[in-house]
Amino acid sequence: MLILLNLGLPRAGAAQVEKIQALLAKPKILCGRFDQTKQLAGLKKPLLSNGRFCVVADKGVLWRNLQPFPSTVRLTRDEIIQMQGERVTMRLNAKQEPTVRLMNSVLFSLLAGDLGQLEKLFAVEGNVNKGSWSVTLKAREPGLAKAIGAISLDGGAYVSNITIDEATGDRTRIVFSAIQTGDDAMSSDEAALF
Amino acid sequence: MVVASVVAHNAYLWWGQRLTADTDILALLPLEQRDLALQSAFTHMVDATQQRLIVLIGAADEADARRAADAYGEVLARHGNLIQSAGRITDQTGSDWLASFEGRRLTLMTPQDEASLRSQPQQFWTGVALAKLYSPFTGPRLTAWQDDPFGLFANWIQARAQETPVRPREGRLFVSDGQRDYIVLPFALQVPVFSVAGQQPVISLLEQARQAAYRVVPKAEVIQAGVILHAAVAGQQAQLEISIISIGSLAGIVLLTWVTFRSFKPIVLITLSIVIGFLGALSISSLLFNGIHIITLVFGASLIGVAEDYGIYFLCKRSGANDGVDSWQLLRRILPALLLTLATSVIGYMGLVLTPFPGLHQMAVFSIIGLIFAWLTVVFWFPTLVHASTLRNQNLLNRYGRWLTRWPLFYYDRRSFLPVASFAGLAVLGWLRLDIQDDIRSLQNSPKNLIDDQLKINKLLDLPAPGQFYLLRGATAETVLQREEILKQRLDRLIDNRQIGGYHAISNWVPSARLQAARRELIGQSVLDENGALLTLAGSLGEDRGWVTATRARLLGASATIVPEDFLKTPAGEPWRYLWIGKVANDGYAAIVALRGVTKDSLPALERAGAGIEGVQWVDKVGGITAILAAYRRYMSWVLLFSYLAVYGLLYFRYRHDSWRVLAPTVLATIVTLTLLGIAGQGLQLFHVLGLMLLLGIGVDYGIFFQEPNSHHDDAAWLAAGLSALSTMLSFGLLGLSRTPPLQAFGLTMAIGIAAVTLLVPCFRKGQSDELMSGI
Repeated sequence: MLILLNLGLPRAGAAQVEKIQALLAKPKILCGRFDQTKQLAGLKKPLLSNGRFCVVADKGVLWRNLQPFPSTVRLTRDEIIQMQGERVTMRLNAKQEPTVRLMNSVLFSLLAGDLGQLEKLFAVEGNVNKGSWSVTLKAREPGLAKAIGAISLDGGAYVSNITIDEATGDRTRIVFSAIQTGDDAMSSDEAALF
Repeated sequence: MVVASVVAHNAYLWWGQRLTADTDILALLPLEQRDLALQSAFTHMVDATQQRLIVLIGAADEADARRAADAYGEVLARHGNLIQSAGRITDQTGSDWLASFEGRRLTLMTPQDEASLRSQPQQFWTGVALAKLYSPFTGPRLTAWQDDPFGLFANWIQARAQETPVRPREGRLFVSDGQRDYIVLPFALQVPVFSVAGQQPVISLLEQARQAAYRVVPKAEVIQAGVILHAAVAGQQAQLEISIISIGSLAGIVLLTWVTFRSFKPIVLITLSIVIGFLGALSISSLLFNGIHIITLVFGASLIGVAEDYGIYFLCKRSGANDGVDSWQLLRRILPALLLTLATSVIGYMGLVLTPFPGLHQMAVFSIIGLIFAWLTVVFWFPTLVHASTLRNQNLLNRYGRWLTRWPLFYYDRRSFLPVASFAGLAVLGWLRLDIQDDIRSLQNSPKNLIDDQLKINKLLDLPAPGQFYLLRGATAETVLQREEILKQRLDRLIDNRQIGGYHAISNWVPSARLQAARRELIGQSVLDENGALLTLAGSLGEDRGWVTATRARLLGASATIVPEDFLKTPAGEPWRYLWIGKVANDGYAAIVALRGVTKDSLPALERAGAGIEGVQWVDKVGGITAILAAYRRYMSWVLLFSYLAVYGLLYFRYRHDSWRVLAPTVLATIVTLTLLGIAGQGLQLFHVLGLMLLLGIGVDYGIFFQEPNSHHDDAAWLAAGLSALSTMLSFGLLGLSRTPPLQAFGLTMAIGIAAVTLLVPCFRKGQSDELMSGI
């Protein structure tokens, strides 16, 4: 009985992932608003910010912070660019820094809810309740665990919330809303940034 | 008695001590005896890599690469006594590495950030800190935000990470060339890399591991690089050549001796003298040099053809002499000639001792001692072993003598004009076409696939060039670091011009104390100033002044001064140990700055970059050795000229006015050799000149044999000369087939030269008219 139970659990986990994958819509273009709350260990007040984000399949992620001050981060398969207005404040290319590809694919999968990709690097535990689901990810490799910590996602057809608990004690919570899909989801200036 | 002790010593060496030949290629190169720091630098660069082996296993897919690497590693894991994996990544590795910088993060920043701290206003830095705070995606968290609010340390770590393309992932090291993912497996060899006995098991083990990897992932790519691979190939090649040369020479001598004397005793005697010569050379050389290099053995094998000269001479004389002459009397008669031949041969080999290459010294000493022992055997043992009645067969002797009388003689008159003129013409032609080839790269003869693998790994891993670097010196460690910083500014310009890829320097990890103090002050006065960016930041975060003071104190507290020796003891410092030479006896401190991405075109620019800074020396080992080879080639050419004069002087004592007859064939043979080399398009190098020195030593022997005044037709002497020449030609001809370029040069020069001498030497014997005139 116990053995059956043990054998059952991983299969159950995989089955859950499949179910969740089935629930998630996978649009080509996904845009929306995010509200981020960051609580850093050692700081009294939590940090609040909000902005817009876009996830484009096969292209990357655009993350535009609008408040409290504007800054833009664009992730493509091989590059991370951080910009403040017109000025590029940080640029990392996969040629100089090989880990860029890995990091970007993780972030992309997180935002798009691509659990299949995430399963390669994280142990996925989730449950489904009718049309909504929740998942916790724990990094398989200890080095990655130190860098990223534990992540939990939940949502329905799209990812609604992400919570990141880091090893340093910092906690980040991102809430997504006003999700739009389809070609007209991106505004023209957003499309230009891609 | 002496022989007995020699034999005993040899037995001890081979069975007792398990003496194996050394295959260290670098041991043949000259030492920088006068410059301790430079020698330490070379040793550092070499030791860092000598006992290591790097294997890259690649596949299109990361998972495939892992499986192949696991299969490969499994085969090797069973033989921990031969080879062990180095550089294991554990869970602790990352945090241990970061912990190396604990307490001193403040002064570690990139030059760009340092410039920004000076030039940018406080709002800039406030913006940077806030962006870092709010953005969820700025890379792995190395520290808590408060420990590095402005990202200076993170940028510095990033810059350091870019010094190598290798990244750890899930317990393994990865590197990618865009198409394939390679797993990097470093290994440390547990057996000495240069012992022939140690190499074979390792090489076969590596092949097994490679096959295991292919079985698991057929399309995997396995690239190996390490000194042991080259040494093993060189060792095998050398062993093969030793066998070929020694067996070939011995067979030739046995055949010649048989044909001449038609009895076994002479063969046994000659072989005896050769064997004793060898044993003596082996035992004394190994005592003097603490071991024998395998190249010495290859060269020594060609000694067989020379050492038998003395034996042959004695035997031929014995065969040609009357029965009434006692062997000891005979010996006394030919002793002057024998002594002279030994002396001239030794002079020839001495040429090798005059070069700065320890390898050549060993070869010379080995050969000279071998000759001396063989000579001693002939002088002391042969007369007792060979009696007048022993050698009966004179047929060949007589026939040879008759045949030789029909050989053209050289007359100092019109009859010789045509041959001389055509000879001179050909000589000039050859001379004009003679090229000079000093480049040491022409002496490189490792198999192409090994070199290709090495180059590929160097490129994939972006390894620094081992043969070109900067050597920095200073009275104190601080001085060295400061000088490095000046050099680095110049090198940065070269990087911008894409002339080099980058550099490795200790000051990248441990700034000079002066720089550390300057940065501390800079940070304290800019962003950490009481009214600076930190304060503004606190405002945005809703924190009070207390927080500002606390954070400031904490950050400034993490600024301990560090010195190179301490850094090198930490896990992060371990791969950089080779850069820091530290204290050099009586000479202050020294360090190396290694370069990545060096091409031949960038060498002049690199040399200029190092000029003008005190204590900075540009070192180009490859170019340096090429220059040494060229310089010594010129030097040895002069020595050759003087040796000819010296030999002439020696000969004059015995032969007076006929000395020219002894020397002339060798001189002409030298010219012939150079001509042929020129016509064949072979570049002249130091080893050809050394070969000509040897030619002088040995070619003169035949001249001596022919000039010895006994009966006017001294058939015996002539026969001896002929046999000697043939065997020497055979030995050195086989040496000329060697795949090692210096030995090939030697062998070729000698073979051509000796052949020419053999043909020319009878032309210079005294004709009957001359003899009548000199009244013999």
